[in-house]
Amino acid sequence: MRDSDVKVLQEPTLTLADQFYLPQVLKGLGTTMKHLLRVLGGTDRVIQYPEERRDDLPVDKGGMAFRTYRGVHRLNKDEEGRVRCVACFMCSTACPAHCIHIEAEESPWPDREKYPRKFDIDELRCIYCGMCEEACPVDAIELTHTYDIIGLTRAEMIFDKAKLLNIYDQTIKLEPM
Amino acid sequence: MLNWIESNIPVWVYITLIIPAVVLGMVAYMILLERKTASWVQDRIGPNRVGFSFGLPFLPQFHFWGLGQPMADGMKFLFKEDYRPRGVDRILFTLAPISMMIAVLVSIAVVPWGGVKSSTMTVDVRNQTAYGAKTAAARSALPAGATLDGQPDLSIDGSTATIAYHYPFQIADLNIGILFVLATLSLGVYGVVIGGWASNNKYSFLGGLRATANMISYEIPLALAVLCIVLTFGTLSLGDLVASQAHNWLGFIPAWNIFSQPLTFVMFLICIHAEANRSPFDLAECEQELVGGYHTEYSAMRFALFFLAEYAGMITTSAVCVALFFGGWDFPGLRGPDAAHPQITASLLVCVLRTAVFLVKTLVIIFVFMWVRWSLPRFRFDQLMMLAWRGLIPISLSLLAMTAVAIYIVGDHRDANLQVGGDLALLLLAGNVIVGGLSLLVSRLIPPAPDTNRRVTVANSRFNKPAVSASPAIASIH
Repeated sequence: MRDSDVKVLQEPTLTLADQFYLPQVLKGLGTTMKHLLRVLGGTDRVIQYPEERRDDLPVDKGGMAFRTYRGVHRLNKDEEGRVRCVACFMCSTACPAHCIHIEAEESPWPDREKYPRKFDIDELRCIYCGMCEEACPVDAIELTHTYDIIGLTRAEMIFDKAKLLNIYDQTIKLEPM
Repeated sequence: MLNWIESNIPVWVYITLIIPAVVLGMVAYMILLERKTASWVQDRIGPNRVGFSFGLPFLPQFHFWGLGQPMADGMKFLFKEDYRPRGVDRILFTLAPISMMIAVLVSIAVVPWGGVKSSTMTVDVRNQTAYGAKTAAARSALPAGATLDGQPDLSIDGSTATIAYHYPFQIADLNIGILFVLATLSLGVYGVVIGGWASNNKYSFLGGLRATANMISYEIPLALAVLCIVLTFGTLSLGDLVASQAHNWLGFIPAWNIFSQPLTFVMFLICIHAEANRSPFDLAECEQELVGGYHTEYSAMRFALFFLAEYAGMITTSAVCVALFFGGWDFPGLRGPDAAHPQITASLLVCVLRTAVFLVKTLVIIFVFMWVRWSLPRFRFDQLMMLAWRGLIPISLSLLAMTAVAIYIVGDHRDANLQVGGDLALLLLAGNVIVGGLSLLVSRLIPPAPDTNRRVTVANSRFNKPAVSASPAIASIH
């Protein structure tokens, strides 16, 4: 870094209005009153969640950007309805939160060596970064747009292979691979 | 029906029971208003879901725009675990919120909600024979808390006596009312200090310490601002102070002190923010530095008492502010028929309407409290002290001196019912403007404050200014 890159900032000097507090205080109060009146006039930034959803709004009105949104995972199926995953462990290796647990087994099908006997994702540990999706060589794991997943216990929030494949069935219409 | 209430229920019952009930109900809804104000200022809507169904299927399932929220909050506080950490002083820990709540509630007693109600009563004195005994019997029938007007009036046949009396439409009409408010509100800070001390927690302790320093500093300008008003009217009774404002200058300007003493009002408003421990002076409970301040260790109803006391304190200080500067219950059409004593009215309805007007005016001041809270950042501790000792106290002192000079110039300024004329008001207004302008000028001339944010050097710290170093090699690094 050169000296010319260094930007020296001076502490701003107080004007007369600043020194006497009150004019600036009134200015600040005016700002908040403006916001208050705006909300009372009907312009707020609230989405009444269960009734209104971000999914239904355009992006510039605070809606959800589907192209980049990362929600709950799904395990994709191939044309014959088999799980696409080849149990290569790329996703669980890439996962920064260590939330993917795979147990591999020899594949019953001739076109691949392994397939996952167990495929568990702890949705409570997951940080929804999308690294697994990036790492997957066969596009088997994907993040969907579904964000309202619920469970009454922690155990319920560990999604197993069946559940992840089920999410594929539910979302494939709206979100093709 | 109002007449039935008046003749059958003693005076003190409905005043003493209803007013605190109204105040406590107001406190609950003030918390909702606070949350609403916060949301509006931040472009949100605020709580709008909780109605009055409480999850019960047979009650109306409507949301009522969130009006059920205070009930839900109160219920939550009641049923939460009342946790008391190990090592606290058991007695003081419980005593602190109680004492704060009591001190604040007691101070509401002297607020003159509805002026003075005059009334007459006919007493059956057939059993007495002598004139003296008849009047004594009539006098003894006087309701508690009322004052007799004139002599009991005997009927011609001597069977009944009529007494005329009046009583203040407030809990207690102390002749030292404003002193009483100042005293009890200062007691309120004991709750903060004791709570902070008893919690056995450094954050609570610091919060308590700060509250003490805050209170000591801001009571001085508060008392000085009050003195300006007391000096003008020559009375300490809040009821008389309000009554003295219930007339017009020039026939159309209400004789409220806000119009004659605007700068004093600003001083007073700033000080009651500190007195009620409200932002930007809420150093006793600043969340960012002290976790929760003095109530860090409190939970459940004990915490709720602190919370309620803070809001009840806001009501008291706002009500006093209204009484001192906004004419209290004064409103066109609500003054009594006797211009010399506008506070006296024979109609209970007028008294109730006056109370409503008083409450509405109080709510406006309370809204200012909330508006300020969500607009201004908190003062740093040294800035807080500096504002009081270098700003507010000198200005309040000069306002007091100015008021005294103005009263001296006008001379015999009060009439018999403590009302001051428009000439003094104009003089006071001019004086306020002059004091304001002068303090603007002087603020540029006084020497700058000491550098309170200076760095305290720690031995061997790498942030120390390079000393006269022994080795030139080290000096070159710096």
